[in-house]
Amino acid sequence: MNHFTKSAGQAAAAALGALALLATSAVADPYQKYRGTEIVVSWPSLAHFQIAEELIPEFTAQTGIRVETDPLQYGKLRDKQLLEMGKPQGDYDVVAWVVFWKTEYVQKGLLTPLSEMFANPALVDPAYDIADITPAYLENGGKVGGPQGYLAGPSAGLYGIPFSAQTTMMAYRKDLLEKHDLAVPTTYEELLAASRLVHEKEGIGGLTGRAQSGHQANDFFLTHYGPTGGVILDDNYRPVLNNPDAVRTVEMLTEFVKVGPPGMTAYGYGDMVNSFVQGDAAFYLDASKIRKTVEDESKSRVAGMVGYALHPTINGNCGSGTGGFAMGIPGNSQNKEAAFLFIQWMTNKATDRKLAEMGGDPIRTSTMNDPELQATFEDYPVLVEQLKCARADWRPLIPEFPEIDAQIIGISVSEAITGQKSAQQALDEANAKIEALLTEKGYYAWQ
Amino acid sequence: MKSLRAALSEGLIAYAFLAPALLILVIGLVYPLFTTVQMSFLDYQMGTPWESREWVGIRWFEKLWSDPNVWKSFWVTLRYGFWVVLIEMIVGTGLALALERAIRGASFFRTALIMPLMVSPIVVGLIWRYLFDARTGMINHYLGAWFGIDPVPWLADPHIALTSLIITDVWQWTPFIFIIVLAGLQAIPKEVIEASTIDGANWWQMTFLVKLPMIKSVLIVALLMRIVDVYKVVEVVFILTEGGPGLETELLALHVYKTAFLSQNLGYASAISMLLLAIVTVLSLFVLSFSNPMKTKSDF
Repeated sequence: MNHFTKSAGQAAAAALGALALLATSAVADPYQKYRGTEIVVSWPSLAHFQIAEELIPEFTAQTGIRVETDPLQYGKLRDKQLLEMGKPQGDYDVVAWVVFWKTEYVQKGLLTPLSEMFANPALVDPAYDIADITPAYLENGGKVGGPQGYLAGPSAGLYGIPFSAQTTMMAYRKDLLEKHDLAVPTTYEELLAASRLVHEKEGIGGLTGRAQSGHQANDFFLTHYGPTGGVILDDNYRPVLNNPDAVRTVEMLTEFVKVGPPGMTAYGYGDMVNSFVQGDAAFYLDASKIRKTVEDESKSRVAGMVGYALHPTINGNCGSGTGGFAMGIPGNSQNKEAAFLFIQWMTNKATDRKLAEMGGDPIRTSTMNDPELQATFEDYPVLVEQLKCARADWRPLIPEFPEIDAQIIGISVSEAITGQKSAQQALDEANAKIEALLTEKGYYAWQ
Repeated sequence: MKSLRAALSEGLIAYAFLAPALLILVIGLVYPLFTTVQMSFLDYQMGTPWESREWVGIRWFEKLWSDPNVWKSFWVTLRYGFWVVLIEMIVGTGLALALERAIRGASFFRTALIMPLMVSPIVVGLIWRYLFDARTGMINHYLGAWFGIDPVPWLADPHIALTSLIITDVWQWTPFIFIIVLAGLQAIPKEVIEASTIDGANWWQMTFLVKLPMIKSVLIVALLMRIVDVYKVVEVVFILTEGGPGLETELLALHVYKTAFLSQNLGYASAISMLLLAIVTVLSLFVLSFSNPMKTKSDF
């Protein structure tokens, strides 16, 4: 009996051992090599990233990769990243950039092409499905080197994955439109007429906007210039800003300012959002991430009173563009593979859905089309529809764009909408300045 | 008579004591100044290797000469500096004269008046941004409630924005002039005041013929410090208007910041800094030409 028991015990132990061995070899661990690695992430101190931060412990538990974040105020991010990435050995392993910094970073040789990582099967999760990431976002945030240097095309490379990307959409006060028997505006003519009516009858602003001199004013201009199909630079990088469509846009913005909330020409993004959620404006037409703030009753007086609609059109042209952030790996990172695993995890299907549920900005078509999320979030069906026609070339994301944006067009538009110059004069001056800048930078060397 | 050796060792000791201060001066002042001058002749962008810098001679100074934005900013800065310093000197000195006497509540007013000085520029910017807010600001609220005035776009109207900035600076820095002038007034020997009283001087004569001339050096130092400081203002303007509407409030220091960090043109930003330095130097020398407190030890 004893003998039998001993033999049976030995056999059971051997079987268990074999099973354990089998299990180990069957459940491979792609993170094994990187357990204990520590990476440093540079990203802005904005809502989506704060939500993402809450998921980092889960990433660390799954992968064993420790993450230190360096959240910075958005305005300070670029200087710090440039300084770090310019060093022979930098402190950052992952950087999140505003889409209009991408070409500058790549031109200065500061980023790692993600093809290096996607070429390595040991790193790429087979379920990652990059095709599920909204193409307009991927092009806008991550592709560099195609047509005009910043669009997708045969020569473009992938340097980043969009994260907290966005398009534009309209939010409107359902109660006011109902009260005045107004249809939801689908064109700019209707939007201006509705803005005037609400301003006159209700004594509040029509369309709100961010029109502070500099980057905000340029964004205000480009958001509403986009639907004309207009561009700032032609295919040869020659500025064409003083065209009739652009002039008409600036003149139209001046009209919107007259019937907008008071002091709109000094508004930044926060002021614009506040004017809408505090009930001082009837329409909001800007970044698509407005819903969370609108429905937050601790910050909003208009929760439950707001509807969402497509960006109005001009001559039937789709109105929206794409923007926001993307994440990539600095060329001088010491932990590129662990950094890639972090980016991949943060932008995979499961995390994207989780971020969306927590109030973040989704980047995946599958998340935005999820029936459960569509039923929960009123803006999702509009978002899906809007992204079908969102343009990545509504602003030229060349390395000089930050200067063109804040130092040239943003100032000229501000001068025009505050009555210091006519729209034509302001845009003529801006056009000449852009041409001088690009000449100095050698853009016309082949012409 | 001291031996040569003793004199030498005395000199060395003096230099040894001076060395730490000189070292700090070299690191904190001479080196940055040298770098700024050097950078103004280079084309260098952040994020690129230092070896990639390019010598461009006087290209940035030529560009500066023909850049309308720089000259617009230059005139805005001069206007801002003129009004800010003028108002602060008059109001600060007036308050010091009013509160130097033993009047009821003088110590309370003195303490209350210097409080704005303790607030950091970023906070000052935020406080006034909320006060000036056209939609929700307290100023517009009371203007509407008491006088029925429509909301004033304090920071959004090109004709008013610079005045709003001047009000903010005057609020924060008048106390600085007040403190310095008050200290100067309180240091005037009592005998002088008594003598002029006995001689029958009235308040007007006492103030303008006795007190203010006696604290001339103090006034010059206060004026000089404000002139130097006022041309370095960045944070408050950045928060209040970011230089707008258009360029109506773009002070030169803010223009330098934007050129360096938005345009990433450190060379050009350094050249504009040189212009700013020239303005401050010329104005300072102009003020010192009236009276140089560093030459005359004391007024008393």
